[in-house]
Amino acid sequence: MTQRDTFIEELFKIAKDDKDVIMMSVDMGASSLDQWREELPEQFLFTGISEQHSINLAAGLSASGKKVYVYFMAAWSARCFEQIRYSCALPNNPITILSNGVGLGYAPAGPAHEPNEDIAYMRSLLNIEIHCPRNIPATKELVKLSYKEPKLRYIRLERKYDTRFDLDAGSLHGGIELLKPGLYNNKNRTNKPKVALVSCGYMLGRSADVWERLQSDDVETCLFDMYQIKPNPINNNTFNDFTHIISIEEQTLSGGFGSTVLEGMSDNSINKPLLRIGLPERYIFENGDRDYHLDNNGLSVDSIYSKVEEFIK
Amino acid sequence: MNNKELEKIAKSVRKTLFEIKTRDGIGHLHSSLSCVDILVSLFYDDRTNFNHEKDIVLFGKAHGSPSIYPILADLEYFPKEELDKYCRPGGILRLHSDASIPGCHFVGGSLGNGIGYASGLALANRDKNYYIIMGDSELYEGSVWESLIFISHHNLTNLKIIVDRNGLGTIGETEKMLKLEPLEDKFKSFVGDVKTINGHDFDALRDIFSNDIPQAIIADTIKGKGVSYMEGKWKYHVVIPSSEEDIKTGLEELS
Repeated sequence: MTQRDTFIEELFKIAKDDKDVIMMSVDMGASSLDQWREELPEQFLFTGISEQHSINLAAGLSASGKKVYVYFMAAWSARCFEQIRYSCALPNNPITILSNGVGLGYAPAGPAHEPNEDIAYMRSLLNIEIHCPRNIPATKELVKLSYKEPKLRYIRLERKYDTRFDLDAGSLHGGIELLKPGLYNNKNRTNKPKVALVSCGYMLGRSADVWERLQSDDVETCLFDMYQIKPNPINNNTFNDFTHIISIEEQTLSGGFGSTVLEGMSDNSINKPLLRIGLPERYIFENGDRDYHLDNNGLSVDSIYSKVEEFIK
Repeated sequence: MNNKELEKIAKSVRKTLFEIKTRDGIGHLHSSLSCVDILVSLFYDDRTNFNHEKDIVLFGKAHGSPSIYPILADLEYFPKEELDKYCRPGGILRLHSDASIPGCHFVGGSLGNGIGYASGLALANRDKNYYIIMGDSELYEGSVWESLIFISHHNLTNLKIIVDRNGLGTIGETEKMLKLEPLEDKFKSFVGDVKTINGHDFDALRDIFSNDIPQAIIADTIKGKGVSYMEGKWKYHVVIPSSEEDIKTGLEELS
């Protein structure tokens, strides 16, 4: 099941007992929505292709005590950035935005549908939390969190993700989690690099492959899932055990995920080398699916591995 | 309350606005003056259906929202001394009204968004009446028309849209720059129930606010109303009278 349908289905269970839970579709469908529309029509709002109005409407409903979930395509978050800032962030009206199909998730639809900058612009807002769940358990935890502790939240949902991570729990404590530990913990290995790979969402799969290859090369490497972009979860102990930090993202590098890592390190006086790996500064006008684009834009496992190898030399 | 009394209050409101705006030269006096009579009719004419203790007024055109400050002060939403501190450190009254000010209900300042926000309030509280005062140049924002589609579909008749149709944008007349007419027809095609009135005529205002209030009211107004040299002159959108002579003339005309 997709993260989107998981979220909507879990929320549906809560909504059945709470009439204040409202699901808003900005002309977006989902198999999980059909049940909602049939059984809870009073708690379902179709707003058409109107991102600006939808956010304003959600803010007004929120100000009236409703728990509103706005579901649209991630690419259109820029289209209602002003409304998210003005009607939600400024007056602190909590709503949950389900932003589906982040990164290159809609490839081959082209760059209009592929938001490779949304982390950068959304995290510039105040009074907002940004989450990137990696798996189904984390998605379910976000449903609970958004319901129990209403806040302005931007939840970046993957259309596809690496199901290897579904075996992990979905705790939301801390915002950054050690997903794959290093195979060594030998203090005598003082001259060897200790590498922290930091990623989120779809890129965790490729990062895990790089992690595996580095391990087999006798490089002590850990993989972190930084699933919470804002508030920045990095503290002064986050990278204590490491000599090199590498961020891996499916965003362009201007202000994106790697910049979040960089800021977290800087703000916590972590003076260690950081390599930011992400998409090139260009819009991709080529045919191809998500993996094709990643492979051809510096984010194949081989390419990431080579960059890491060069960095830690 | 008869028209003479309402006119007297409106003049007093305009005078206060003129005083607080010219004191530091901050804000949009021109836009604030055009919607004063609409507000005075709502808040003071006891023959309208409006009840300020129950009904909510929001501003889409928040740059004109200081027009409500003298009224809210008079009705003791906050001390009158706050008017003297308008836009000054320590004061609660800002250039654009926001929900931190007693009697105000929305963060103001970004055009085209108030109506969508108001539609959320109106949908969630069907038993409550909302009045949103919008600028005519605000109607250039596409989000307004997105909201009108929604308001019409959900029959949000508890939300009344009042367009302060002063005919001027920041740098000229709407009909010369980028025409909005036929405005009534445009609104009619979205929400059906629309009337155009003279926004400075207390009989017309009473009539519209005391019977079945239409979903949308286009109130023809004069930007800068009450100060002869400002009336209908677009250049005053961002210009506040500052010369001794202009201030003296303005105060005399509003006294």
